[in-house]
Formats: sequence, C-alpha cells, structure tokens
Amino acid sequence: MDVTLLKVTAVLYLLASASFIVYIFLVRDFVSSLSPIILFTGFAVHTAALGIHFLQTGYPGVAQFREALSFYAWLLVAGYLLIQLKYRLAILGAIIAPLAFLMTLAAFAFGTGGGELPPGLKTYWLPVHVTLAFLGNAVFALAFGVSLMYLLQENYLKRKKMTSVMKRFPSLEALDKLNYVLLVWGFPLMTLGILTGSMWAGIHWGNYWSWEPRQISSGIAWLFYGVILHGRITAGLRGKKAALLTMVGFAVVIGYFLLGDSIFPSRHGGRFE
Amino acid sequence: MNHRSAPIEVRESVAFDTAYVHEALGRLRTYPSIQESVILSTCNRVEVVAAALNGVSASEEIKAFLAEQRARKNRPSLDDHVYIHHGPEAVRHLFRVAASLDSMVVGEPQILGQLKEYYNAAQAAGTVGTILHRLFHRSFSVAKRVRNETAIASRAVSVSSVAVELAKRIFDRLEDKTVMLIGAGKMGDLMARHLQRSGVHSLMVTNRTFERAVELAGRIHGSPILFEDFPRYLTLADLVIGCTGSPEILVDAATVDKVLRERKQKAMFLIDIGDRRNFDPAINEIDNVYLYNIDDLKGVAEENLQERSNEAEKAEGIVQEEVHNFTRWIDSLEQVPTITALRQRLEEIRQRELERSLGGSLRDLSEKQRAALEDMTTAMMNKILHAPMSHLKLSSNDEDEKTLYIAALKKLFDLER
Repeated sequence: MDVTLLKVTAVLYLLASASFIVYIFLVRDFVSSLSPIILFTGFAVHTAALGIHFLQTGYPGVAQFREALSFYAWLLVAGYLLIQLKYRLAILGAIIAPLAFLMTLAAFAFGTGGGELPPGLKTYWLPVHVTLAFLGNAVFALAFGVSLMYLLQENYLKRKKMTSVMKRFPSLEALDKLNYVLLVWGFPLMTLGILTGSMWAGIHWGNYWSWEPRQISSGIAWLFYGVILHGRITAGLRGKKAALLTMVGFAVVIGYFLLGDSIFPSRHGGRFE
Repeated sequence: MNHRSAPIEVRESVAFDTAYVHEALGRLRTYPSIQESVILSTCNRVEVVAAALNGVSASEEIKAFLAEQRARKNRPSLDDHVYIHHGPEAVRHLFRVAASLDSMVVGEPQILGQLKEYYNAAQAAGTVGTILHRLFHRSFSVAKRVRNETAIASRAVSVSSVAVELAKRIFDRLEDKTVMLIGAGKMGDLMARHLQRSGVHSLMVTNRTFERAVELAGRIHGSPILFEDFPRYLTLADLVIGCTGSPEILVDAATVDKVLRERKQKAMFLIDIGDRRNFDPAINEIDNVYLYNIDDLKGVAEENLQERSNEAEKAEGIVQEEVHNFTRWIDSLEQVPTITALRQRLEEIRQRELERSLGGSLRDLSEKQRAALEDMTTAMMNKILHAPMSHLKLSSNDEDEKTLYIAALKKLFDLER
C-alpha cells in the first residue's frame, strides 16, 4: 500500500517539476499557483505513505537507505512549502520539485522489500536523531537552492544581461536574507542532530565520539556552517561569498549522505554488530 | 487618428476634453446612422467608436462630426489624418488600442485606464448599447489577457526605468534605501525622481558648486552635501548616481572597496551617466557592487525592446483570437434577426395579397377552398425561403460569405426600413 502511494507521489513530484519549469520559461501566471498545488498534493500522498509505513512496522521509515531518501525528500518538500507560504518563491520550486522527484525515484532503485529493523535500532533514539539530522540537512538543501539562485542572478547582473527568466527571481537582497534565515534554522537543527547521535552512541556503545566516518564528516560540515554563520553575524560575510560557501557546505553533507557509507563502512550503513 | 497618422497639432485640434465629452456624445447621437458611440481622446489619439447598421454612411457622419469639432477651432479639412476601420478590422483596432499594442510606448499601462474612463463617460451619456457594451468589455479582458499572458508590459525601455528595474533586482525594497546623486545634470535629476516615485525616501545631492546642489536638493526633497565631503557619505549610500561633466574619475575601485568593508558588504548599485566616466570601470569587479554606465543601461533597454517585439507577436495572436470570437457573436446577432425579418416580410406580403384576393375576385370561395389557398401560399413561401435559409446556415463557417449574404438579403428585401 505505502509503495503504491509512493509511486503516486513520484508521479506527482514529476508533474510539479514540469509545471514549475513551464512557469519559468513561459510567462503563464496561472501555472505559478498551480505548481505548488500539485506539489502539495504529492506531499499529502507522500505523508500518507510514510504514515502507513509507520503504522504497519511501528518505526519511521528511516533505517534503510531507500527509506531515508524518501523521508528526506518529504522533509525537503515540507520545507519548501513552508517557504512558499511566506516568500512565494515559485522558482525555488523548480529546483526542489525535481530534486524530490529524483530522490523518491532513487528510493525505488534500492528495492522495495520491507527489511527487518536490526535490533540495535529499535529505540526511540532512532526517530529523534534521524529526524533532527535530516531536518537540518533539508534546510541546508533549501539554502543550497537559494544560493544557486543568488549566484545565477548575481551573474546576470554583473554581466549586464536581463532575461525574462531572471524576472522570476527575487532580488539579491531577498535571496541573501532568506539564505541567512535558513542558515539560522539549519545550524541548530544540525547541532541537535549531532548531539542526539552522540548521546545515543554513548548510551549504546559506551563512547560518545568514536571518530567514525559519519561523525567526522558531520563534524566538518558543522564547523563549516558554524564559520559561515559566525562570518555572517560578525564579519559582514554576505552575498556571493556566503552563497558559494553555503553551496560547498551542502556538497560535503550530501556527498557523505549519498556516497559515504559505501566508501567508509560504518555503523551508519546498517552494519550493527 | 493617432500619433502615427496625425501630428500633434491636428490631434489637438479635434481633441475632446473629458468635461466636454458628454455634450459631444450627445451631438454625435443626432447623426442618423449612428446607433451607439464612445469617444476616446488621449494625448496620442482621438478615436470615435460607433455601432451602426450602415458602416459607410456612419463613417461619413463621423468625419463630418470631427470636421465640425475642428471647425469650432477654425481649422481646415483633416481627411489625410483620419483612419477608418469597419467590421472586424474596427474590432481588432480597438482591441489593439486597449492592449497597448497601438501605443507610442508599446505596453504602457495608462491607455486601458483612459479607455475605461471614456467608456464610462459614454455610458453616462447613454450612447452605449448592447454592441459597444460587449465590445468594450471584451477589449478590457483582451488587455488583461495580453498583460497576463505576455511579458509585453513588464519591460522597461527608458534608461531611468531600466535603472529602477535593475535596482529592484538588487534590492528587496527601495523604501529603506538611500540614493546619492553626484552632479546636478538633467539625466541624474530625472533618474532620482524616477527612483523616488518607486519608493526611495532618502536622497543626498552633491555638486561642485554647492549652490546648485542646494537648489536641486530643494526641488527634489533631498539633502545637499559638500562636494569635498561626498566620499565620506558614500558608506550611507545604497545607490550612487554619477552625473557630472568631470574629466577625471571621481570614485575609484579602492574607495569602493573600503566603503564596502565599512558597510559590511551591503550591496551597492552605482550608475554612471556622466559625460565622461565618473566611476572607475574596475569597480564592477568587486563583489556585491554593481556598476552600470549609460551604455549598459541602453543595452538592457535595447534587449527589452527586442523581447517586447517578440512578445508583441504573441499579443497579436491573442487579439486575433478575440476578434474572431467577437465577430462570431456579432454575426449570430445579425443572422437571427435577418432571418426573422425576412420571414416576417414575406408573411406580411402573403397576408396582404391573400386578404385582397379573398375580399375581391375570390370572394365566392368555400371555407375548404379558402383553407387550401392558405396552405398553398404558406407552402410557397416556405419553399421560396428554403434555399436562402440553408445557404445562410451552410455559410456560417465562412465569415465573409455570410456577411455578404446577410447584407444582400437586407438590401434586396428592403429589411432595413
């Protein structure tokens, strides 16, 4: 049941992506309100799919990689829809919707069988830690999208070109502010994600910090975002540099999320012994 | 007539003041062919839109009306400057005017408001009927469609409006931004005013001759600052307009770099519209600073213009579609009454002749025979009507043909008494 719903979700995300892209390249105003509605419908179906999974298994679908991907896409869309409420950034949807579609699609590529949860994960720490960590990640993914938009807009302004597409972009100042807001939200979430992970590790394995690859990469990303935040608050770090750094920071986070476990086997890859 | 067909003096000579339109519409109504009318008179055009059954005599009457208007102002004939559109062409013209496709500055939004104003005036004068009511309401929605579905209205083409458009892409809002105007040239003055209209409150003005700075600041509600002091105030300025005839560069990259550090990298927009370069071109290399000179602004305006003409094609497509819809409506309006009128006409003749004969030479006919005669004449009439009716209905796909038939029927059977 939840798998069928997930398929519907993927289709809706694809439709929403197409609609957002049509909106950018053709000036058709009705599309601008239509696209978020399609995306929201996809989100609702997605929520149902996750909810059913939870009811059936008794744990949130985050333990396996494919489940994690789908959950992550869900958070991403949730974050975007919240931003859309306040900022009406349909153009950001054109980045987020395809991303969500690809992630849900990728979730299928990793099989659909419902695996048994390893005993080491059957604890309340799992939903708390994973949700916080993923929320942080999702917020940074949005910040990544906003930064990308900033750099595109900045580039056009510097090169003194104007196109209809650029007209759809918010002003540089608005994008920079939004980027800052996302950083301010993402950083504490990431901090909490790392803290809960560390406490969980401490309780279960006896040491809070074991220098395993996931901990190291999160630590690096955390430091990185910390430096950006500090720079923004005190040293007037903004605009292009801030956008670039935000994008690099996210590359570290997502790079490890996608590749890390296959390169550096660790307990996060589901190998609990 | 519009800005292309007639020079300003001629347009002025027939222009109708808003206050005067009511009376003019009243006068126009006294012409026999004109059934409905709206007068539109702006600084770029004078138009009379009328609904009439006979287009040729109506247009003669409108010309006479305009000539009369002109004669009041003692001017000779104006045939050369007037354009006349009939039928679908007239509909298309009005739609293009409403959508600002016929304007001097294509896409400017004022025309729609003016059109509505003059339409309301005509309505108040009681000269708007079913046809013009529908026509004008369609024209308003055509304008809306063109505005929503094409980017024709969103392209700035003057240097000042390009500057404002750019400023809005850099800054979220202009209300909390400060502008510094260096030099008291005409262009800078214009641009500063344009920015103020777009929301800027705070304005500093500086000039080598302080008196001129004070004078200009007084006119545009800015604060004058001494020319020697302006570099110190740069930190406060989000937008800087350089508009002096100075042969040397007034602001160099190092200064901007320093100013930017003091501003904690808050973005700056520098506009160089001086006779020579007022700002060092290297400034554009610095992050968070955007330097545009007059050629850059013109380049953007040019691009906008180009894009506008692409959009104009799209807009013409919309107009075409709507003209088609409207013509269909008009025809359906005309076709039904023509058929009814024709039938009525023949019925009248039949009744009249029947009465005459039955009262005269056929007086002695029996009841049964009378009924047979009645049936026969009715059948004859229907047989005669059958062919023209089916032609009218069959031709409903071909607009021109149908219009032709309707006109012919009206003329041949004298349906327009």
